[in-house]
Amino acid sequence: MTLAVLDGGTYYHQEAIYGERLGGRFDRTIYAPELTAADLAGCDALMVADRIHPGVLRGKRPILLDYLVGGGTLIVLGENSAQQWAPGVSWEFRPTNFWWWLEQGGDPGHRIVAPDHELFRHVGMKELVWHYHGLLTPPPGATSLVDITPDGDPQGKGGSILYDHCHVGGGAGRMIVTTLDPFYHHGSFFMPAASRFLGKLLDWTDEAFRTPG
Amino acid sequence: MIDAILLDCEQSETGAQALITDLALGPRIDLVPFYDLERTVLSRTRALLLGLHSDQRYLASRRGQLEAFLGGGGTIVVCGHIGHPFLAELSPFQPIHGYRVDDLVVNREADHPVWAGVDPADLSKRRGVAGFYGRGSNPPPPGARIINSLGPSRCPVDFDCRPAVGGRLLVHAGADLWGYFGSGNSSERIMPQLFDWIAKPSEAA
Repeated sequence: MTLAVLDGGTYYHQEAIYGERLGGRFDRTIYAPELTAADLAGCDALMVADRIHPGVLRGKRPILLDYLVGGGTLIVLGENSAQQWAPGVSWEFRPTNFWWWLEQGGDPGHRIVAPDHELFRHVGMKELVWHYHGLLTPPPGATSLVDITPDGDPQGKGGSILYDHCHVGGGAGRMIVTTLDPFYHHGSFFMPAASRFLGKLLDWTDEAFRTPG
Repeated sequence: MIDAILLDCEQSETGAQALITDLALGPRIDLVPFYDLERTVLSRTRALLLGLHSDQRYLASRRGQLEAFLGGGGTIVVCGHIGHPFLAELSPFQPIHGYRVDDLVVNREADHPVWAGVDPADLSKRRGVAGFYGRGSNPPPPGARIINSLGPSRCPVDFDCRPAVGGRLLVHAGADLWGYFGSGNSSERIMPQLFDWIAKPSEAA
């Protein structure tokens, strides 16, 4: 079992992937601009760290699609403009609200809507409730895991910030997609909730996609 | 000759969009796709602005081009933490471990044209919340001018220096300075003053 991560070459990718706080959580690190199909051979899952330059990901789209068709799992984190290159992704911008905890009476609208999902053996509300970058509309066949209620959405519409899409396009591939960007905030030594989320997310990927050491 | 090229990392809410459409400052800056750096003739600009979302591994691979630009008298402005030192004067970021609010208060260490009239209190907190400006240091090289520091430990958060290869280097160990453009308080002076500083390369570093 092998988990790989795409590294966008920023300081926060460096800190999150190699830093002392969360080091050693990936079996393979691939510098995104140099990604080749061979790099993904034998990978059970590929985490696309948040905030990789979208132009790089658009350029690697054929490799990522082939990986999905071959039964791979993509875990796509936020601010990657996934709607420009990843199948089925529909995303709408929402302005970042760093102040939700001052403005919304402590309820910015997050709801776990599929509590039996395996991810929630590790991730809970205290890892999920922080600012997010836009809302997703899960495509047919996908399951939203975390919604924002219409009351929590400044546009009153609501949507998903994390979904799981098995059998993408009727094939064997799987995509987990979120609008949270924990590599950036954890790697910037800012926002403890983002660090908690990344740590628990990696506890789940340890369980789901890596061979216990 | 324009004042600045900003390498575009295609990230939202960085302030870059507001900057390039601004009636006064917009004509002074070009937004260039990040990985087009290697195809960009830098002699047509006075400064290169590198934001916190930069792929620093790529910048390290372009070190020769960056050094040639500095050697020709250019100015490089770096925002963010250093993860991959891509110039001789840059060292890996050192966070203030276990910081508390008092550790993040901005202190003015030296007068600098870019920060003239900017109240450090407007940098220390946004809506009462500390930490947006900086949480540690890109350790300055010997001889650098420390401009702003953080907390009682006076951890350097901004410095400028004259790189050995020539030119000028200004480093901010925090979010992009162009994010303060149009902030509605004294910090919005930073960007117009940065452009004016860039346009006067004889200004001592």
